[in-house]
Amino acid sequence: MDQTELKSRIKRALLEELDLRGKTEADIDDAAPLFGAGLGLDSLDALQLAMAIEERFGVTIPEGEASRTIFASVNAIAEHIARAKAE
Amino acid sequence: MARRERIAITGLGMVSALGLGREESFRRLCAGERGIGPVSLFDTAGLRSQIAAEVRGLDVAALAPRGEAADWSRSDALAFVAARDALTHAGHVDGVPLGLALGGTTGGMYETERALAVLPKGQIQPQDARRLLDFPLAVSVERVARTLGSVVCSATVCSACSSGAVAIALAASWLLSGRVPRVVAGGVDGLCQLTFTGFNALGAVDPKPCRPFDVARAGLTLGEGAACLVLELESAARERGAQIIALLSGWAVASEAHHVTHPEPSGERAAAVMRDALAAAGLEPGAIDYVNAHGTGTVQNDAMEARALTRVFGSELERVWLSSSKAQIGHTLGAAGAIEAAITALAIQRGQLPPTAGLEQPEAPELRHVRAPNQRATLRAALSSSFGFGGACAVLAFEAADTRARPLSWQGPRSVVISGAANFGALGLSSGVGAANSLSEAASSAPTPSAIDPLRLLDPDRSRRFGRASALVVAAAERALHDAGCDAAATGLVVGSAFGDVDRSVRFLQKLFEQGPKFASPAEFPQLIASTSSGNASLYLGLRGPCLSVSEFGTSGQSAVSVALSLLDLGLGQHILAGAAEAHDPIVDGVLGADRGEGGGFVLLEAEATAGARGHVPLARIVLHRAVRGDATRAFAELGAPTLPSEACVVRGRLPSPVAGALTRSAWGAVTSYDLPARAGYHEALGAFGLSFAAAQIAAGRAAQALLVTADVDTVYITLLEPVQPARGPA
Repeated sequence: MDQTELKSRIKRALLEELDLRGKTEADIDDAAPLFGAGLGLDSLDALQLAMAIEERFGVTIPEGEASRTIFASVNAIAEHIARAKAE
Repeated sequence: MARRERIAITGLGMVSALGLGREESFRRLCAGERGIGPVSLFDTAGLRSQIAAEVRGLDVAALAPRGEAADWSRSDALAFVAARDALTHAGHVDGVPLGLALGGTTGGMYETERALAVLPKGQIQPQDARRLLDFPLAVSVERVARTLGSVVCSATVCSACSSGAVAIALAASWLLSGRVPRVVAGGVDGLCQLTFTGFNALGAVDPKPCRPFDVARAGLTLGEGAACLVLELESAARERGAQIIALLSGWAVASEAHHVTHPEPSGERAAAVMRDALAAAGLEPGAIDYVNAHGTGTVQNDAMEARALTRVFGSELERVWLSSSKAQIGHTLGAAGAIEAAITALAIQRGQLPPTAGLEQPEAPELRHVRAPNQRATLRAALSSSFGFGGACAVLAFEAADTRARPLSWQGPRSVVISGAANFGALGLSSGVGAANSLSEAASSAPTPSAIDPLRLLDPDRSRRFGRASALVVAAAERALHDAGCDAAATGLVVGSAFGDVDRSVRFLQKLFEQGPKFASPAEFPQLIASTSSGNASLYLGLRGPCLSVSEFGTSGQSAVSVALSLLDLGLGQHILAGAAEAHDPIVDGVLGADRGEGGGFVLLEAEATAGARGHVPLARIVLHRAVRGDATRAFAELGAPTLPSEACVVRGRLPSPVAGALTRSAWGAVTSYDLPARAGYHEALGAFGLSFAAAQIAAGRAAQALLVTADVDTVYITLLEPVQPARGPA
């Protein structure tokens, strides 16, 4: 899967799993922070996202601080998935 | 403000993981024993936690009346044992009219799960789905009421983990207003996979038995159980020479409006609720000797609670004993507020301090944790705190039976008006005088409500994950609140809900059964409990008054109005929104018939004087709102005749034929009648839709009296509205 396709799938997961109604893939910047100011997501969203990434992409998301780095942005999630798949 | 007396606790019943009865539970609790072990009720493979505080040896079949064994859930049986034991303890004799108020969050979910587990995968057929609707939350109250007999008024309340405490506060209002002389009030929750998996998915459970207030605490341990208190006025209890276990002196119920699962971290809101309970009880912090904490063992709750206690007690903190019972009996969710109220009352009566088990290194050593088992102390007064999802807080204040009686103040019943009204029907959202047209001819030819998406009326960023029912509730409540011009922070909300989001719960469980617990959705779980809509509305609208749900089949909206009136009597919230909404649901529609509609309505209730002080002109005044169990003939007769039959109207819900007959034979039989199901399609919140319609009839000057009659199961509700009297000028 190329990077563009992967990022598109990540954005679809974000939109659906976090119920970001009224937003489209185009509204999510690849490099923008997802939590805090960005999309206004919180720790409940982080838990949901971890579950959804594991389910949709078959990769494990570690608990705690490590997940915070992975969920920094769409780019960071894509990197984690690509790295985990390569291992 | 009116004067009031205290409420006597004259009987207690308790079932917990430590015992099937009060004495065994309390003795083992004080001894520091723990009732936590591997879960036997269902498979926990793959979950973070494999343990719970299960009630062992509960024989549901032996407790249910003959022929009903297959219909009773574990929660029904738990509630029945607690209620029966409490009445025996109180020396109750049959014939004294009883009120019954129970709090809970999941009712017969365990049995629903068993029924679902054996269904074929995929789409559920209507004939298979019926069993999934056999356990609506209100069923425990109905079963216990029928088995006990002599229950004249009842309610099922849910405010997540503070439900049991809210039921007890509600009981106090029934007693003080003279509605009933004796009340059995408490809470019940049986373990089920929905909550067990949900709390696991949230990462909120400790794999080891929970360790409240410990630095190493890592989450809660779920439990199950029930407790009931027999409550009566102090004067009545003393007059009949009843044993008074302890006195309930004060209460406070409010919402944080902060986050669906996280407590407000500074503890400021929780502290305010504790202070309100103390103020209601006429007690200073210095009078409190013991606090039974919510103390779940989650990192966030216990830290918040320690901060709240510091705010309330200040330098008194080192003197006030503190413990959490959850390391021994688990977090019993909707039952917790009642079980812990019972524990607090027994601790006061017997001078025994239940410890916090498993506490090795306190995070806040400045708190006076009860650590050793079987400690004794004289307790004059104590608090029991409960905090739930959606920021639902409730605190109860208790005193020793021999403390000096003193007059206390409370709000008391006042003239209540409808200051805002909105309903959702075929024409979408209507409000105020506009709701008078919500049943017009145009309404019957308008598109079905399914064509109008209530979510589109809400801000998408703030209504993420709201289900359709929540969206209907929030949209209608927001409009009624807006029209009334009330401050959201001083407003509470009571939502009537018959079934909840059945389809969504079933999908959560099907995924669990088919894919295992690893993929249980953490964000979905808080949307699946009975108080989801009231919690969502509190957060969305910023409501900081008491926010809770009630359940009573097709009269849930009318029960919500009753409970809202009680909250106003108690002075909990200046303004209370009350109503109900039901949404299309493939499973509920499939079972109840394809012609089941959707919609609902909310009214904003407040004292006439409160509206007047704001310069607001209300839509109508509530002259009477009454629930009648059984034959309604006498209630219609007591209503008297309409003042001017040509200017009166009756708004009718779906009425069983004896009720319809009694209404037709009454003096109200011949006035203009609006048949709601015929004109708006039946759903369980139709009565709530009708109340807004009736208020609008009055406000529009189309009627001088509007009588709303709705009924379901054994209960008939009669609500009479009239215009608000114009303010009197100088004589």
